Amino acid sequence: MIKVSNLRKVYSTGSVAVEALKGVTLTMHKGEFVAVMGPSGSGKSTFMNLLGLLDTPTSGNYWLEEREVSSLNKNELASLRNQKLGFVFQAFNLIPALTALKNVELPMLYAGVKPQERRQRALLALEKVGLGERLQHRPNELSGGQNQRVAIARAIVNRPSVIMADEPTGALDTKTGEEIMEIFEELHREGTTIVLVTHEPDIAKHAKRILRFKDGLLIRDEEVTNRTISSEEEVNHEL
Amino acid sequence: MNFKEFIFVGLEGLRNNKLRAFLTTLGIVVGIAAVISVIAIGEAGKAMIMSEMESFGTNLFQVYPNYREGEPYRPVNFTKQDVAVIKKIAPEVKYLAPMKYDQGEVRSTIGKKNTRIIGTTADYKHIRNVEILYGRFFSEEDDAVGKKVVVLDEMLANDLFNVENPVGERVILQGSAAVVIGVIKKTESAIPGMTPDNYAYLPISSMPGGSRWENVGSLFGSAASKEEVYQAMERVKVILERRHNAVDHYAVYSMEQEMQTVSKVTGIIGLIISCIAGISLLVGGIGVMNIMLVSVTERTREIGIRMALGAQRKDILIQFLIEAIVLCAVGGLIGILLGYGGALIVALVLKLPPLVSWWVVLLAFLFSAFIGVFFGLYPANKASKLDPIVALRRE
Ligand SMILES: Nc1ncnc2c1ncn2[C@@H]1O[C@H](COP(=O)(O)OP(=O)(O)O)[C@@H](O)[C@H]1O
Ligand SMILES: [Mg+2]
Repeated sequence: MIKVSNLRKVYSTGSVAVEALKGVTLTMHKGEFVAVMGPSGSGKSTFMNLLGLLDTPTSGNYWLEEREVSSLNKNELASLRNQKLGFVFQAFNLIPALTALKNVELPMLYAGVKPQERRQRALLALEKVGLGERLQHRPNELSGGQNQRVAIARAIVNRPSVIMADEPTGALDTKTGEEIMEIFEELHREGTTIVLVTHEPDIAKHAKRILRFKDGLLIRDEEVTNRTISSEEEVNHEL
Repeated sequence: MNFKEFIFVGLEGLRNNKLRAFLTTLGIVVGIAAVISVIAIGEAGKAMIMSEMESFGTNLFQVYPNYREGEPYRPVNFTKQDVAVIKKIAPEVKYLAPMKYDQGEVRSTIGKKNTRIIGTTADYKHIRNVEILYGRFFSEEDDAVGKKVVVLDEMLANDLFNVENPVGERVILQGSAAVVIGVIKKTESAIPGMTPDNYAYLPISSMPGGSRWENVGSLFGSAASKEEVYQAMERVKVILERRHNAVDHYAVYSMEQEMQTVSKVTGIIGLIISCIAGISLLVGGIGVMNIMLVSVTERTREIGIRMALGAQRKDILIQFLIEAIVLCAVGGLIGILLGYGGALIVALVLKLPPLVSWWVVLLAFLFSAFIGVFFGLYPANKASKLDPIVALRRE
């Protein structure tokens, strides 16, 4: 489903070049629930943005559903993001001027779904993430948990193959964070592939597989057992 | 997305950014309204000046001694016979009057005043279309016998007498007595100096002191028709040169030529007004530009989100284009209505037809539309070229 080989990303801002990703190779299968862990600055977000086709790699290959996508043009990438991928960000990234409902309808707008159907599917997606009301409210009138539900509804509404979530609970309290993770678990049970970036072991334990990053490299790739859910310090100590 | 949906998204963008939409529209409205009304005011002013000039008479001409700076002074004079001969042999010259300017004290039973004096003939009345308020203008007979009569203008009459109608009263003009036989009606003019006040008009033959036709400064004439002005002028010049054996000693000017000078002046006024209008348009445009550019960061993030969700570059551009077009169209329409209203008010006050030229409307609209569309699309175009993540990260 997802296969990357020797994926590199160098940021060159001005004179200094930062090698954020130093060659990552891995494979993910359909229906997997993968957590990406690692200390701050280890390249998790960079990796996630490349997988999400939001950013272009400096070098390396990326196959999404058997298709090499690192050389596609912007329009092809846009339509792939629209059809195959759903995003959930730490900062929600909802459009502040639009209501919850309109925000959820957006991906379908660009998919060419008819207004009537758009509305139906948006309502369904919102119900699924547990937001049955306040649909005509704008993001600044909703709580963090509610906003993240809207964002998840938006991510799933086009029925994507993969959902990419970058620290989706980072801006939420523990209890709300757990509620959000329940939604991801449910989506996983339904067969959606999920890639989740987090540095919190409690969040990562919801996943079935953990990728550990450090200094732009994938240093560990393991199945989740109770033993492997350890803190960053313990992992670092171990190495 | 079909066209209807694009329109919808564009309108939604406006509805959701009401303040920005309002301020942008305001910038366009102010620019266009200012241009239209300012230019209309300028045009009205020009038209008013021209129409006054027209009412003054376009078949008029004047004859002066031809004196050029730097050349030796050549004494020239106009005689009573000159005028008589010209009027006799040149049918295209309808009226011809000498203009002898002087000034002095005029005294009535209740007051005195320093005034300007014009010595002329009965023709003057016809040339200038003099309107009489009381009594009459002096006649050819008055002039022929050198009758001691005087015609005052309304202002002078009011200063010298406390009766409404001073006809029949006596005045002392430069030391000699004269009877007031008429009062000239004051004509209203918006142009300063067009209707001179404080003038006393005498038959030239009754001017006090000296040889009467000496120092006649110029001749004032009118042609039989507008078409014959230049012909009449040429005839007068040739006759005078022949009679005085003085080639090139006389210069003739038509009122039309003077009008051309005036229209040159009004042209300059028009240019200044256009500049003012242009500045208002520019100020409005800068306002629009500022508002569009100030919201760039916010809009860039929005564009990042939309692109992350699958919007293509053309989707973004069309959305912003529609927003800009709607703003410009609404702003332009309101601006044109307000500007036209302003021009209408000016026209009402000045009692002139409203002069809103379509090219001004078009130009103002095109300029504002260009600013609106350009600065509306500029950030959208830039943002839509970025990788979605770069647009999303913009703070
Ligand atoms: N846009 C960027 N420009 C320059 N450097 C960047 C940019 N984004 C990230 N980096 C750098 O790349 C490295 C990895 O960043 P990131 O992927 O955000 O790490 P993480 O998400 O694991 O905290 C860091 O050193 C960061 O400073
Ligand atoms: Mg990160």
